[in-house]
Amino acid sequence: MADYTKYTKQEMQAYAIAKNIKENQIVIVGTGLPLIGASLAKRVVCPSCHPIVESGLMDCDPVEVPRSVGDNRFMAHCAVQWPNIRFIGFEANEWLHDEDRLIAFIGGAQIDPYGNVNSTCIYGKGDYVKPQTRFTGSGGANGIATYCNTIIMMQHQKRRFMDKIDYITSCGWMDGPGGREKVGLPGNRGPQMVVTDLGIMKFDEETKRMYLAYYYPFSSPEMVQENTGFEIDVSRAQLFEGPSPEIIRIIREEIDPGQAFIKVPKE
Amino acid sequence: MNKVYTLHDAVEKFVENGDCISFGGFTTNRKPYAAVFEILRQGQKDFTVWAGPAGGDWDMLIGEKRVKAYINCYTANSGYTNVSRRFRAAIEKGELTYEDYSQDVLMLQLHAASLGLPFLPVRLMQGSGLMKYWGISEEQRKTLDKVDNLKCVEMENPFNPGEKIVGVPVPKLDTAIIHVQKASPDGTCIIEGDEFHDVDIAVAARKVIVTCEDLVSNEYIRQDPTLTRIFGQCVSAVVHCPYGAWPSQCYNYYDNDSHNLKEYDKASKYLDAEDAKAQLAKAADKADKAAAAKPEDEKLAEAAAKAKKVAEDAAAGVAIPETFADYLNKWVYEVKDHEELLDRIGGAQLMRLKNEPHLGYSTRH
Repeated sequence: MADYTKYTKQEMQAYAIAKNIKENQIVIVGTGLPLIGASLAKRVVCPSCHPIVESGLMDCDPVEVPRSVGDNRFMAHCAVQWPNIRFIGFEANEWLHDEDRLIAFIGGAQIDPYGNVNSTCIYGKGDYVKPQTRFTGSGGANGIATYCNTIIMMQHQKRRFMDKIDYITSCGWMDGPGGREKVGLPGNRGPQMVVTDLGIMKFDEETKRMYLAYYYPFSSPEMVQENTGFEIDVSRAQLFEGPSPEIIRIIREEIDPGQAFIKVPKE
Repeated sequence: MNKVYTLHDAVEKFVENGDCISFGGFTTNRKPYAAVFEILRQGQKDFTVWAGPAGGDWDMLIGEKRVKAYINCYTANSGYTNVSRRFRAAIEKGELTYEDYSQDVLMLQLHAASLGLPFLPVRLMQGSGLMKYWGISEEQRKTLDKVDNLKCVEMENPFNPGEKIVGVPVPKLDTAIIHVQKASPDGTCIIEGDEFHDVDIAVAARKVIVTCEDLVSNEYIRQDPTLTRIFGQCVSAVVHCPYGAWPSQCYNYYDNDSHNLKEYDKASKYLDAEDAKAQLAKAADKADKAAAAKPEDEKLAEAAAKAKKVAEDAAAGVAIPETFADYLNKWVYEVKDHEELLDRIGGAQLMRLKNEPHLGYSTRH
C-alpha cells in the first residue's frame, strides 16, 4: 500500500495553487506545476474553473499531462482551438469589459518586492545584449501580466528574491502604489500572490509590497526571511494546512502518474 | 495551376540568402522541420527572422550561423529543453543579433502583416524591459535593411487623449514556410487543430512554401470548404512531405518524437567535439573545486571523480558525447532528402508516433 501521508514541497505548491483557484474562474495555466495545480482544482477542489492556455486552447481538460502549451494533449481535449491572437484579444477584452474572471500563473527567475518578474536574462558581468544567462524570454507572460491578475510561481531562494532585478519581463506593481498607471498599465490588475516551496506571499493593499501570508507545515516565517533577499514582513503569517492523503493520491495516481512534473521520492 | 514541387526545388527557388522569413507552428507542434533540414542542406543564410513561438527549428539555424537578425518572443522545445541551447549560447557569447518582443506583440505583428496594416498600436510591454531595452540599437538598425528602424515608439492614443500606447512596426515578410495536414496542387490548404499564426504568415509573405502530410486533389479539398484555411493563390509551392513536422507533433497525424527531442536536447549542449571537451574540462574543474571545499562530503568527491573521468575520456577521444554537429550530420547532412530521413527514423518508430484517434496523441513511444 502506497503511503500518501507524506508529501513533497512540490506537491504542497500544487495544492496551494489549487486552493487559490476560485469558483468559475478562467485560469491561464502553463505547463509544469501550475498545470498540476489547475488539474487538481478542476478534478477536486474547484471543478467549476476553466483552464485555458496562451496558444489559444480554451477550457482544457487533458487526460495525459501536456509538455507544452501547444501540445496535442491540450488540443485534443479542449472546447475551442483558437489561434493565439484570439487569446490575446480575449484577455484584453476581459479587462475592457471590467470583468474580473481571469487568474493567471506565471513563473520567473527573479522577483522584486513589488512582484516585478524577470524571465529574460541574468546580466552577471554583462548586460541585456550579452548576458551571463539567457532564458526563453517573455512568451505570453508580459501580456498576461498586463491584463490579468497573476499568481507568481517561484523557487524560494535569496538570489531569486531581490531588491532590484536585472530586467522586468512581466510587470508587477512597478515601484508601488500608482506605479502601473504611471507607465500606462491597467492599475486594477496585478500580482495577487507568490506561491513558493516555502510559503505564500501576498501584496499589501496600501504599499503594494510583498509580505508573508502563509507558511507551510514544514517551513517557518524565519526560513522565509532567511531565503528572501529583501526585508519581508512576516508578522501577519499564518499556517497553511497541508494536503490530505486523498489529494496526494489523486496527484500521484491520476494527474501525473508518469511523474512528468512532480517527482515522487522513492520510499 | 500546379504548384507541386519537390522539397529540394521549392527550397532552392523560394528561399534566398538574406530573406526576411517566418515559420509556422508552435514550439514543438507542426514545425516545418523537413523544410528546415533542406535549408540546412542547401546552405541559404543571412536570414532576418520573425520567429514566433520557436524551438529547435530556429535553434538549428542559429547554431549553423544562418541568421543575421533574430526577432523573437520565446525559443524552447518546451518540455524537453527549457531554453534552446544554441540560441542561448549564441546570446551569451554575444554572437547573435536579436530582438525581444512579448509573444502577444509578435503574434499581433504577424497578424497585422496579414491585414496589411501600416503599423500597430498596442497596450502591451509598457513599463517592462521589452520597451526599455533594445537588442538591436537604433544605429545598428540603420545598417540592417530588413530590420525596421525602430523597435517601438511610445505614443498617445489619438482617439483617447492622455492614454499612453505603444506603436510597433509590421513585419515585411519575404518568405513563409508552414507544414499542414492537407494541401492540393493549386495551393489550397487544410489545417487541422490550432492554426497558430500559420494563416497570418501565409497571407503576409511574398513567397509561401507549404509542406503537407497528404497531397489531395483540387476537387477533394473543396468537398467541405468549412475545413480549408488558406486560399491557394497565397501559396507559391506545395510539397508532399509525410512526417514533414518530425520530430515535432502534427495534430491528427502523429506525436512528438520524444526520443529524438531528448537526443537533440543533450546533443545541442555542445557545438562540436572541441566545445564538448572544453565544457567537460570546465565542469570537471568546477566539481573538483566543490569537492575540495568540502572534503568531508563523499558525494561531492564521487561526483568530482566521475566528472574527471568523463573529461579525460573526452579529451583522449575515447568517449566524446554526441554534439550538435553530430546530430545535424546524422539527421540532416548525411541524408540526401526527406525520404532517406524517413528510412533512417525507421518504419516502426514512425508507426509508434502515429496519433491514436481516441486520444489525439500517442502513448506507444
